Amino acid sequence: MSATAPFGSAGNASSRVGILDRARTVAPRDYDRFLVPPAALAVHLAIGQAYAFSTFNLPLTKLLGITASAPGDWSLKQVGWTFSIAILFLGLAAALFGRWVENAGPRKPMAVAACCFGGGFLVSSIGIHLHEIDLLYFGYGVLGGCGLGIGYVSPVSTLIKWFPDRPGMATGMAIMGFGGGALIAAPLSIFLMDHFKTAESNGVFESFIAMGMIYFLFMMFGAAVVRVPASDWKPSGWTPSLTPKKLVTTANVHVDVAWQTRQFWLLWGVLCMNVTAGIGVLSQASPMIQEMFTGRVSAATAASFVGLLSLFNMGGRFVWASVSDYLGRRNTYFVFFVLGIALYALVPSIGRAGSMPLFVLAFGVILSMYGGGFATIPAYLRDIFGTMHVGAIHGRLLTAWAAAGVLGPVLVSYIRDFQIHNGVPKAQAYSVTMYIMCGLLLIGLICNLAIREVDPKLHHRETEQ
Amino acid sequence: MSVARLKLIALWLIVGLPLAWGVTNTVKNAIKLFQ
Repeated sequence: MSATAPFGSAGNASSRVGILDRARTVAPRDYDRFLVPPAALAVHLAIGQAYAFSTFNLPLTKLLGITASAPGDWSLKQVGWTFSIAILFLGLAAALFGRWVENAGPRKPMAVAACCFGGGFLVSSIGIHLHEIDLLYFGYGVLGGCGLGIGYVSPVSTLIKWFPDRPGMATGMAIMGFGGGALIAAPLSIFLMDHFKTAESNGVFESFIAMGMIYFLFMMFGAAVVRVPASDWKPSGWTPSLTPKKLVTTANVHVDVAWQTRQFWLLWGVLCMNVTAGIGVLSQASPMIQEMFTGRVSAATAASFVGLLSLFNMGGRFVWASVSDYLGRRNTYFVFFVLGIALYALVPSIGRAGSMPLFVLAFGVILSMYGGGFATIPAYLRDIFGTMHVGAIHGRLLTAWAAAGVLGPVLVSYIRDFQIHNGVPKAQAYSVTMYIMCGLLLIGLICNLAIREVDPKLHHRETEQ
Repeated sequence: MSVARLKLIALWLIVGLPLAWGVTNTVKNAIKLFQ
C-alpha cells in the first residue's frame, strides 16, 4: 500500500496492514486538514470527564444508604483517592507509552485509550456493584488513568504535523477538549444518575456502565476518523521560513536525548509551576469564594463560580495557544507568569474591597492562563526539540502535571488550615496562599527566561537509530 | 455542496454539539453568580 493511499483503498499489501496501523491512516494529498481536529477533540472531550469526577464523590459515599451514608459505606476520603490515582497513572502512562504512541500512532493508541477509559468505567461499575473499592481504584484509577495518559498525548503530534504553520492553534483545539470535557460530563453524570435512580439504587452503578459505553464509542469515533499527513506533505501555499527564528528549531532531538537536556527540565519547571498555581486555586475555588465573600455566596452559587472557571480554563486553551503562534512561546509564558503574579498579588485587596465581579474576572484570567499553559506546551516542545518525537517528549513532560496535581491542592489547603488554626479570619486565610502562588510563578518565570536553544551537537542525525 | 464539505460539517457537529450543550449549561448556571 502506498504511503499516501487513502484509508479503505485496496492495495496488495493492505491485507498485511491492520486497520489500526499507522500506514492505514495516511491521508491523500488533497485531504482537508480541518477534518482532523474533530478526531482529536472526540478523544479529549471524552477523557476530560476526569475533571468532573467529583460529581460522583458524594453519590459513591451513599451506595448502601442510598439517600444518606450508612455504616459500611465508603468515606469521602476513600473515594477521593480514585481521582488522585487516575492523575498519577495519567502521568505515568503518558511518560511510559509516549514513545510507543509516537511510533504506532495515532489510531492504535486512540483505540487503546478508548478501551482503557471505557473499560475502566465498566470495571469500576463492577466494583460499585460488589462494593469493592479496590476494583474502583483499579478500574477508574489505574485502567482509566492509563486511558487518560495515552489518549491525552496521542493526537498532539498528529495535529502539529497537520498544522506546521499554526501548531499552537492546532494543539489548542485538541487540548481545549480536555477542558471542555468536564462541562459535558458534569451535567451528563447528574442526568444519568437521576435517570437510573430507584428505591434500591442511587444510579451510580448504571451511570458508570452508560458512561463507559458512551465514552468508548465517542473515542473510537475519533480513532476511526483520524488521519496523518504524508511525511513530505505541506499545507498548500505554505513554505517553511528560511530565516531562522529565535527558539524555533528546524532540527530534531531524540526523546532519549531530549529528557536529559537542561531545556527539558526548565520546561518541566515552567509547566509544573504554572499548573501548581492554577490547580491549587481550582481545587479550593468553591470554599474560597464562600469564605472570602461570607454571607453573599451560597454553595450553589459557588458551584456556578467553579463552572465559570472551567469555561475560562477551556477558552484559555484555544485562545492562548493560538496567540502563541504570533507572540512566540516564550513571550506567551512570560505573559502568563507576569500577569499571573500581578493578579494573585491583587486578589487579597480585591477580596478586602468586596468586589465580586473583579474577583471573578481575576480568577477567570488566571484559569485561562492555567489552561493556556497546558495547550501551549506541546508547541513549545516542538519549537525546542522539533517534531520527530514531540509526542513522546510531551508524554514525559506530563509528569510535571502529576507532580503539580499533588503539590497545588496540598499547598493551598495546608496553608489555609494553618492560617485558620493560628486565628486568622477565614476571609483573610487565603492572602498568604496568594503570595506563595506569586512565588511559584516567579520560579516559573525564571525557568522560562533561562530557556535557550538545544546544543546542535544533540540534534538527531538521519543515520542514527 | 460537496461530499467533503458535508463530511467536514458532520464531523464538527458531532463534537461541537455536546460541547455547545455543556457550555450553555455552564453559562446558564454562571449567570446566577451575578444575580
